[in-house]
Amino acid sequence: MTKFRAVLKREYVQRVRSRMFVIITVGAPLMFALFTVVPVLIAGIKAGGPARVAVIDETGRMYPRVRDSLKGTQPGRDDDDDEEIAEAASGVANSNTRDRVDQMAKATAPSYEVEEVAAEGRGLEELKTRLDERVGRGELDGYLVVPANVLERGEVEYHARNLSDIYTRRQVQRAVVEAVRNARLDARGVNAEVMRAINQPVRLKATKAGGGTQEDSGQSFFLVFGAGFVIYLTILMYGQVVLGAIIEEKETRIAEILFSSIRPFTLMAGKLVGVSLVALTQFAIWGLALVGLGAYLAERGGTFAIPPIPISVYAYVVLFFLMGYFIYATLYALVGSMVTTAQEGGQLAMPIILLLIVGFYLAFPVIRSPNSSFAVWVSMVPFFAPITMLIRIVSQEPPLWQILLSLGLGFATVAAMLWLAGRVYRVGMLMYGKRATIPEVLKWVRQP
Amino acid sequence: MENPCSEPLWGNGGSDITTRPRARGGETGAGGLKIGPETFNDQDRISSRPLSTFLNKTLSAQQPTLRVEGVTKRFGDFTAVDGLSLTVSPGRIFGLLGPNGAGKTTTIRMIVGITRPDEGRVELFGRPVTPELQNRIGYLPEERGLYKRMRVGDQLKFFAELKDFTGRAADEALDRWFEKVKLSDWKRKKASELSKGMQQKIQFIAAVLHDPDLIILDEPFSGLDPVNVELLKDLVLELKQAGKTIIFSTHQMEVAERICDDICLVNRSRKVLSGSIREVKSGFGRNAVALRFEGGDGVLEDRSLVVSVERHSDHAEALLAPGADAQELLRRLLASGARVTRFELVEPSLHDIFIEKVSGT
Repeated sequence: MTKFRAVLKREYVQRVRSRMFVIITVGAPLMFALFTVVPVLIAGIKAGGPARVAVIDETGRMYPRVRDSLKGTQPGRDDDDDEEIAEAASGVANSNTRDRVDQMAKATAPSYEVEEVAAEGRGLEELKTRLDERVGRGELDGYLVVPANVLERGEVEYHARNLSDIYTRRQVQRAVVEAVRNARLDARGVNAEVMRAINQPVRLKATKAGGGTQEDSGQSFFLVFGAGFVIYLTILMYGQVVLGAIIEEKETRIAEILFSSIRPFTLMAGKLVGVSLVALTQFAIWGLALVGLGAYLAERGGTFAIPPIPISVYAYVVLFFLMGYFIYATLYALVGSMVTTAQEGGQLAMPIILLLIVGFYLAFPVIRSPNSSFAVWVSMVPFFAPITMLIRIVSQEPPLWQILLSLGLGFATVAAMLWLAGRVYRVGMLMYGKRATIPEVLKWVRQP
Repeated sequence: MENPCSEPLWGNGGSDITTRPRARGGETGAGGLKIGPETFNDQDRISSRPLSTFLNKTLSAQQPTLRVEGVTKRFGDFTAVDGLSLTVSPGRIFGLLGPNGAGKTTTIRMIVGITRPDEGRVELFGRPVTPELQNRIGYLPEERGLYKRMRVGDQLKFFAELKDFTGRAADEALDRWFEKVKLSDWKRKKASELSKGMQQKIQFIAAVLHDPDLIILDEPFSGLDPVNVELLKDLVLELKQAGKTIIFSTHQMEVAERICDDICLVNRSRKVLSGSIREVKSGFGRNAVALRFEGGDGVLEDRSLVVSVERHSDHAEALLAPGADAQELLRRLLASGARVTRFELVEPSLHDIFIEKVSGT
């Protein structure tokens, strides 16, 4: 036990004291902040003046409506059905981007200078050529062609210099949709009062069933998704740490000295546990920082709030993290004792990373229907359970027996993996020169 | 499976584990001291060797520090160590000699408990090797390394901790050893900042810091400059003075000749010869005389007396015929009227023995 503790202590102290640990612990939240805050800030940089848009109105009646809705455009409002569908289909990631686009649109909200182009007897083609020239000279940013049958066909042309300016494009589209919709209603004799009433936006107020009246605008979801993501990344990162540690001892032949003092299994277990404590330390630092930040912001009346999460969920996070970590770290240990250089280790570790990635992506269908039989099965597979079961727990708590079964299967796998990795480790660590083949490894496992 | 042992290396930690290799007749195994008839013969064979005369004279009451009996280790079809037996007595420097690939390192690995013999038994201080006994061994492997990014002082403490050597005693021993190898200023440096020679001295400390009773040094001097070789050699002799038993593995015969008391020469997985240096040399059956003389023509041509003559710049070396007496040669030379200015019995060097034994087999 003293020896186990010595290994554990060395692993822990050396790593927590290392520059890398400090960089990741401080750097990761900074990076996170950087990726969420900076884009909004950058998008807020207003480049250039108001957008200048010309309108060719072949109906002769639409121009005032288009102009008014362009000038009074409300970027935050979203009433495009097709986008709702797209969002529902593509799940979280996209809704996230959409949010960001909206934020940016809000921040950039360009004002519009709108002018009407009178036909004055010229043909449409001629008008377009002239407008193209003006766009080319930089006098205009774009122009709209509203055809005479717009109310029936619902098609408006938009010619612009910069089509990749998606914010402006989106706003122009909204303005046109609004204008045409109002014109259609008007044509059917709906009066302005009714129109305003119809256009009143509808907001979806989401609360968890049976969870009181507290509104949940997605924080708890993002929190669990974030936790899943952090677990995934941490397993990946600390798995690599284990791999590196084992290869180092093999490459430098320190293993020879170590094995003359301590049982190989004790050594390996000490390393795995030591590194896991490093990861937990990192979690603790991040967790405290988050709570501290939340408290600070709440005090200053900010909108940032950490949704109330039952204490059991924190316990599950730790349990499932440990389970995932030990499953993958033992896999890494196995690989580490088979190879001779870090480079070979990287190659042989690819399947492990693949397995992790699959587990991560399985999270998405599970988020959408956490109690489907697919989700139940997936959350029982030890290699995927750490992320998928955690998501189920937060989104729609599954029966306790399922959680316990998942944990039981997981830790049974950990035990089996430890045994297997230990068998390979004790022989592999003393084999220098060449990478072990699978038949060799199988022989080592069977070797008494 | 060719290996009949099915227990794990350490089993339930303590009792008779590495032993009991085969169900040999009469062997009880328990405690490792009751020896069956067949192993008794092995034992007999060992003690009939000259080495035991020393034991009988001075240390008869003491049991050997290490006893290796009929140990065999195979890797697939390759037999790395084949039926090797040796006994190392307390307070002696024991040279495990042999060319590269002879099985020295494999033997050592079995002694320190890194691997387990397929057959035969290893006994340390009269008991089979256990983790507790491992604490009494210090091992400097031939393939050795240090944690590059760890301070050398810290890693030495870690290695000592793995031998259950901690606390104040460890700190004091650490300072003392740093002093001895003249690296006190480097204690807080990372291993990567040290030169190769310095690292080697640190590794030497790792083998001796925890005050082990048996110290195993596998090629400890390779790659060191002469000054450091002398320094380490003196430290090794100092350890011997302090009553430590030292196993010293090398293929450099000059070094072995200078510091070993007893040797065992292995070649191609088997023991070739063993005993104290003195006995090995005198038992080698080679009688040579270094000569410088004038006159006395024809005496050296007598094949019943001299087998061959090797002429050097200012002297000749005559290899005497088996059974021939050097005194007889001197008498004959004088009788023939030769003027002898040098007449010296030359012992074969370990190097000569090594070359002959290794290339002869």
